[in-house]
Amino acid sequence: MPTPVDVLERRIDELRVAVRQAVLAGDRAQATALRAELRRAEREWDDALDEFADQTPVPPLLPIRDQVHNALTLLGVPAAPKLLIAVHEAFFAGEIVGARLTSLRRDEERSFRAAPRQRPYYLCSALTADLLAPARGLLAVSTWPLDRRIVGPLSARVDFLTAAIRIAEQAERHPGAERLLRRFAVNIPGATDSSFADVKPEVVVRAARAELAVHEGADRSHREAAAERARTQLDDAAQLFGSRELQRT
Amino acid sequence: MTSPERLRGAAAPKSHNARTIAALTTNPGCSRRAVMDAAGIDKERLAAYVGFPARFGQSQFAITRGNVFEAQLKADGCAELLRLLREVLGLPIPQVSYDDLESVDQLDARADRSRELLTRAAGGESGTLFDHPLLRLEVGGRWVYLEPDLIALQFGGTFYVVEIKSFAVIDGQADGTKVSAAATQAAVYVLALRRLLAEAGHDPGLVSHEVVLVCPENFSNRPVATLVDVRKKLSVLERQLARMARIDPILESLSPDLTFDLRPDSSGVPQRPVAELVDGLGQIDARYSPECLANCELAFFCRHEARGTTASLGKSVREELGGVPSVDLALSLASGAVAPADDQEEAAAMLRFAAQLRSECLS
Amino acid sequence: MSALTALARVSAVSSGVAQRIATVRHVHLSDRPLVFIPLALAGEANAPLAALVGSSFDSPQLLVVLQPRNRDERFAFAARLAAVFLSYVDSFRGETETVPAGRNTDPRERYVDAPQILVPNGGGVGFVRLLGRSTRFRRTEGEYAVEPSVPLLGRWLTFFAERAEYPGSSLLLNMTGALGMHWATGQSAVEDANLAALVGWIDPPDGMTGADAALEAEDPLTWPPAGPATDPTFDNEILAPAIEAGSLSRLESALRRQLEPTWELMWRGVSLLRNLPPGARVERRWAEDRDAFTGYASYVDEGGYPQARRDGAVAAAQRLARLERAQVLYDAQRAYDDPLILAEYRLTGEAFAGTVTASAPDRIDDSGKRRVLRPRVTVSSSDPVRFEPGVSVVSPARPSQTGRVVSVSPLPSGFEVVLELSGGMGRGLTAPPGSVPEVGERLTYTTLTESYQAPAAFPAREETPWTHGGPPVEYVPDDDDAVEEWS
Repeated sequence: MPTPVDVLERRIDELRVAVRQAVLAGDRAQATALRAELRRAEREWDDALDEFADQTPVPPLLPIRDQVHNALTLLGVPAAPKLLIAVHEAFFAGEIVGARLTSLRRDEERSFRAAPRQRPYYLCSALTADLLAPARGLLAVSTWPLDRRIVGPLSARVDFLTAAIRIAEQAERHPGAERLLRRFAVNIPGATDSSFADVKPEVVVRAARAELAVHEGADRSHREAAAERARTQLDDAAQLFGSRELQRT
Repeated sequence: MTSPERLRGAAAPKSHNARTIAALTTNPGCSRRAVMDAAGIDKERLAAYVGFPARFGQSQFAITRGNVFEAQLKADGCAELLRLLREVLGLPIPQVSYDDLESVDQLDARADRSRELLTRAAGGESGTLFDHPLLRLEVGGRWVYLEPDLIALQFGGTFYVVEIKSFAVIDGQADGTKVSAAATQAAVYVLALRRLLAEAGHDPGLVSHEVVLVCPENFSNRPVATLVDVRKKLSVLERQLARMARIDPILESLSPDLTFDLRPDSSGVPQRPVAELVDGLGQIDARYSPECLANCELAFFCRHEARGTTASLGKSVREELGGVPSVDLALSLASGAVAPADDQEEAAAMLRFAAQLRSECLS
Repeated sequence: MSALTALARVSAVSSGVAQRIATVRHVHLSDRPLVFIPLALAGEANAPLAALVGSSFDSPQLLVVLQPRNRDERFAFAARLAAVFLSYVDSFRGETETVPAGRNTDPRERYVDAPQILVPNGGGVGFVRLLGRSTRFRRTEGEYAVEPSVPLLGRWLTFFAERAEYPGSSLLLNMTGALGMHWATGQSAVEDANLAALVGWIDPPDGMTGADAALEAEDPLTWPPAGPATDPTFDNEILAPAIEAGSLSRLESALRRQLEPTWELMWRGVSLLRNLPPGARVERRWAEDRDAFTGYASYVDEGGYPQARRDGAVAAAQRLARLERAQVLYDAQRAYDDPLILAEYRLTGEAFAGTVTASAPDRIDDSGKRRVLRPRVTVSSSDPVRFEPGVSVVSPARPSQTGRVVSVSPLPSGFEVVLELSGGMGRGLTAPPGSVPEVGERLTYTTLTESYQAPAAFPAREETPWTHGGPPVEYVPDDDDAVEEWS
């Protein structure tokens, strides 16, 4: 006799074919309805399986906010989740679970607004220099000076070069970081030899510093001016998580 | 005479994008398509409703691959893209300025902000990389929003449209059809950017007719950038857009009460009798060719309608048959059952000879 | 597209079934071909997803990649394919024959048979080429090492793919192309690219017209695409959840269902082609294919390098010239083998057919220093003869004999052509019986020639002019080739 799981699996297969039929016939309403039914069947299937399996998730060594904090502190500049994962993998034990990063900033903001400044640090946003809005996909640390969290037109490059220097400086003691360092080095003029074969941390530092010197001054004045505006125009929470007001004007 | 609004009925106009605008250039002689596109009619929905759904699905694997590749190029302050542009455009080291225009939420605000930054840059002020600027182009009397992957401004004031595609360049060679489609799309952006600058009083020639095409190299994720000349695409595009702006003569020939309104009920289900819509489509001449199957949402309908024509077998078949338009006529001329009209004498003689040869060899 | 084929297409529309455009088969068909149907993952550069492969209808082998984006799994797929493919290729390396010395060649050994790969369409040939390109440089030791069979597979796949560009070669055939050479359907060439639709037109199921069958063939639920691209709704609704679930059995059954209908079509295609009698010169071209196979097998044995990524300037020009000559010869051979192909040349005035009305087999030309046998024949033709006097023509019935057009004069219906013949009559001053066409014989004469053409002269490799990059560096695969990413 077929088990409930077997019956559900057959049902799921049938629904998938039906969805294809609807899509091919250009019938969007029907496809949407069938997809909803398919999701329902899949959930039931998951539940049915859960009855067999005993699931205890393995807790990570550190809470995710500490992992992210460690990676950000090493880099010293605002960074995107993908880079944070790579940095953590190269320098620290344990793994950052990417899926959990997506809700992190929202959780931090909620916590801050509920009870401001109760924690030693918050993981917050980088702010765009023009609108002081949260910069897409960048995380930063609340204890950093405000101007370091501002992103002006030159900051993406400046932060990239700064991160390269920090990674190179740490790379000597962490052989696992070589691949990450190479990824940075190939995109910095003079940081690798012509064959890209050998990446020497001190060469990367020198090359990155040389290019950094070109952009640094202009970038700093942008950032400082924007930070000054943020301090006068934004409340505490908005200084950390960005303003959504200015955008609509 | 009818109007585009009346033809479309109560539905919201279907918005164009660079891909659909590029597709306009593939069969410029087709009145049906010109009218439908100018009126902003949702051809895909119409085709499905009359029983000839289009087949333009995209695999989620292809979509994901495209997104991942673009994100990779733009990661870490466009680090990879910057290296490539330094190589192909000779961007000097100080030019690293990056403006993310996608972070502005509203379409209008984004378009305004894009215009502001791009015109400021054209005026010699700051700016090098403009990520996802929002441009506008007038298509058939309506404004269409367009979103190039990136625009780069070279030292000296030349703008380059950068198009990121995830099809591979293997040993210096890529799929010609895909390169051509990418070039046509990029040409749409070049045109929109030129018009934006011209409106702001700048020289449209500041936008290069060469675009930067970035693709993965060989079987890797490593990007490679190539300059592609889109001058020819631009002139085809401009001609077709101008033509769409002049569809009045076609509209004049249409009955004033013609409409493709699907008359959806309160839950959005169309109530219009299919026969009325089919009849309406029949009032506007189509120029079906098999190439439409890859380019137009209405193609399966038009193919069905074109059964029995020599053109539906391919342009070269029709030409080889001396331009004789229908299958039946071609066969009747070949068998001698029908006497040729004056301008068909030569074609008929050839067909008779061909038929004689076939029967001689196959008997 | 010729006018004859165009007429065949309109006839197919009205009769509801595909029409023959060849009276004989122009490709070689092996008794034991290897049918190979590859599928690739959308959006990637030739990432193998699955394949159905085998040399008999009853025993297809299904190869599946559980995670198509995983590099190791791709090479594992290549290794499994290599096991099937290389043992198939090796099975033809048995008996040889000795080919006697020719005008410019030494005597040589040649395998009496050769492998033949059949793929569904041009995309399948492209897949073979790219899979060859992505595997032939791989190293078998050190970092990124792969199974020894993988680079070997790559070299053979590359050999077959390059050979597929050679006009008249049958080592790697695509089924839509092979069928399309012999039948004209009542649809366009664009639609012929769908193997199910094409077979539907050629051999419609009982009670259906070709048009009905072709329409049904466009439903990807009944007739999945013949690859390498899959149907997007299959990707989105079936494949993606199966890959995510990581269940091999689910993936295998889903992919098997995508591939099996094409497997049947491929073997139906094979039997459709087998039912056609082979053209007289097919065997000669297959012998060239066997030569090429023998040559490459011994090159590999001797430890030759894998094929370069790109040809140097001289090699590329030589290759192009070789392909052009092969094309001219192949066109002529097909016309000589097949009156229906020859008829295309009659239609365009490059050939005419007629009946011999007068024959002077013993005519001697004594105008020169030496008396020579130069028979004359008069041929009356109802074709529109467009040849000027002085033109040389050949009849496929007597390919070693050349006719020079002496005069063309109009008749009440058609033309009368006088030809002066030379060659194919021995060395004496009397023509052997049967060597000169007799009165009443029906013949076709054409300007097409299958005679030997000397290859164009090219500078030696080491004398490549600087305008073409100078002499190329000897191609030696380097580390870069071996560790190239495949992701």
